[in-house]
Amino acid sequence: MRQRLRDPVTGLLFVLPVLVLFLIFRIFPSLGAAGMSLTNWNIGGEWDVIGADNYARLLDDVNFWLSLRVTLVYVAIYVPLTLLVALGTALLLNQVVFMRGFFRGMLFLPYVTSFVLAGIIWRWIYEFDGLINGLLAKADLGPVAFLEQTALVLPALAVVSVWKGFGYSMLILLAGLKSIPSSYLEAATVDGANPWQRFRRITLPLLKPTIFFVVVIETISAFQTFDTVYVMTGGGPVRATYTLIFGIYDHGFRSFDFGYAATWGMVLFAIVLIVSLIQRRFLDRGNT
Amino acid sequence: MTITASRPATELSTAQAARRRRWRTKGPLAALLALLSLLTVSPFAAMFIVALSPEGEPTVPRQWPDSLTLDNITRVLSSSGFATWTVNSLVYALVSVVIILLTSSMAGYAFAKKRFPGREAMFWTFLATMMVPFQATLIPTFVLVNSLSGVDTFWGLIVPTLANSQAVFLMRQFILGLPDELFDAAKVDGASEWRVYWTIVVPLTKPILATLGVFVFLWHWNDFLWPLVVGQSDATRTLTVGLTTLRTEELQLSVLMASAAVSVLPCLLVFFLLQRYLVNSIAMTGLK
Repeated sequence: MRQRLRDPVTGLLFVLPVLVLFLIFRIFPSLGAAGMSLTNWNIGGEWDVIGADNYARLLDDVNFWLSLRVTLVYVAIYVPLTLLVALGTALLLNQVVFMRGFFRGMLFLPYVTSFVLAGIIWRWIYEFDGLINGLLAKADLGPVAFLEQTALVLPALAVVSVWKGFGYSMLILLAGLKSIPSSYLEAATVDGANPWQRFRRITLPLLKPTIFFVVVIETISAFQTFDTVYVMTGGGPVRATYTLIFGIYDHGFRSFDFGYAATWGMVLFAIVLIVSLIQRRFLDRGNT
Repeated sequence: MTITASRPATELSTAQAARRRRWRTKGPLAALLALLSLLTVSPFAAMFIVALSPEGEPTVPRQWPDSLTLDNITRVLSSSGFATWTVNSLVYALVSVVIILLTSSMAGYAFAKKRFPGREAMFWTFLATMMVPFQATLIPTFVLVNSLSGVDTFWGLIVPTLANSQAVFLMRQFILGLPDELFDAAKVDGASEWRVYWTIVVPLTKPILATLGVFVFLWHWNDFLWPLVVGQSDATRTLTVGLTTLRTEELQLSVLMASAAVSVLPCLLVFFLLQRYLVNSIAMTGLK
């Protein structure tokens, strides 16, 4: 009896530090973002409620629509590319026994570094006298201005993020592959299925939930791309890499237009929410 | 070995033939895997070669450097800005590791094993905040920290990043799997709640605490957007932010690459010491 009476207090006390941190630095700012998007908050901390004016301004802002397009194009390049690389390397690692741990480590290595470091290395790799153009010059080709051409810059940035991040998805997919019972594949082999048929009819369907998880995770992370843009292009050339987060940063910390920047933040929130809800829906359907 | 040697010669040769056949089909796959692994680490290799090349001398990609030197590295290490950023990054990462491990394991224990009013509602609120991307609340969080005079201070840099829902969630899931009897027995013996936490919860969660600690270290060491907006002078600037202030216009490429190379050393150290650990925990917990 005494135990049960004492429990509520101790339970709360153990949660208290996290509770306070969350209330102040996660929940309050989350509500604050919605509130600020309805004001003209500026750097001096002065503000008036201006209702939905920021949202009306957003709909009229060509830069916003451009930014949304840039972000969507980036997601459309990045997600399939990273899935392809991660799935390809995971399948290879699942097949090859020879020095598997060593190769897995090498492929995973960029994941433990920062996007800033990736940006700094690849900025040089893409430069006129950088690594790729240096190699192209040996074959009397190039030079190619990867980061100065609007058509090339988003794929170039996507390659950097794929390089830095595919190791994570590769490990998730590899774990998925390992959970497929080998008896299924052996039975198919006995029945005369060739490797492609085994992949198409057994591996791929059984791997579907894992692939779905990877696509969702990578989509959300692609929508949040900022570091490589900041380091490599600064949103340019001519706003060709002006992603949503770069817009939040630009309006907030270059123009100090906090109210409007918060409105851009609400758009990001809405997008991530929609992706998460789609994920929930698919998972629920998978369970029934 | 002795067993195979005692087998009849015919059996041995079929085993050899099978191995040869396997090698013929898997050989090209292994070669492809080796090639992809080399491609993946080659940007790091190029970075280190340039970092070790004498300043101003020709190096990759045009030619292999004639000699290697540690001059760039020692120059970077002795520059005051770089040393300050490194210390700041270490403080940012290590303080966060200690506090997040402590607070999230306490909260995880309470959520998993204690009964108190509002427990479920609180836990689901924590989970819901996972769906709000930090970047969407960047502006209100900055305004909040600014109004508390936290900009360009260590507490302003560290404290808002301590509210980590992934950590709380992970700890709670792990502690849920521990048998209740352990805690009941300790309480019957008259141990205080704090003592139960220190002598039972902490030792039993050591593996997951270690994993979480490594991830929190990497997250903070590699973090960029929040340190960028809060650390406005060298006094609180972290390494990632400091690196982006270095420009090749004012600096030899070899010095820039030496800075980048030194900044990645802690990540490489973590990688080489704990690779197996990292790989397994990603596969098991999906920590990103």
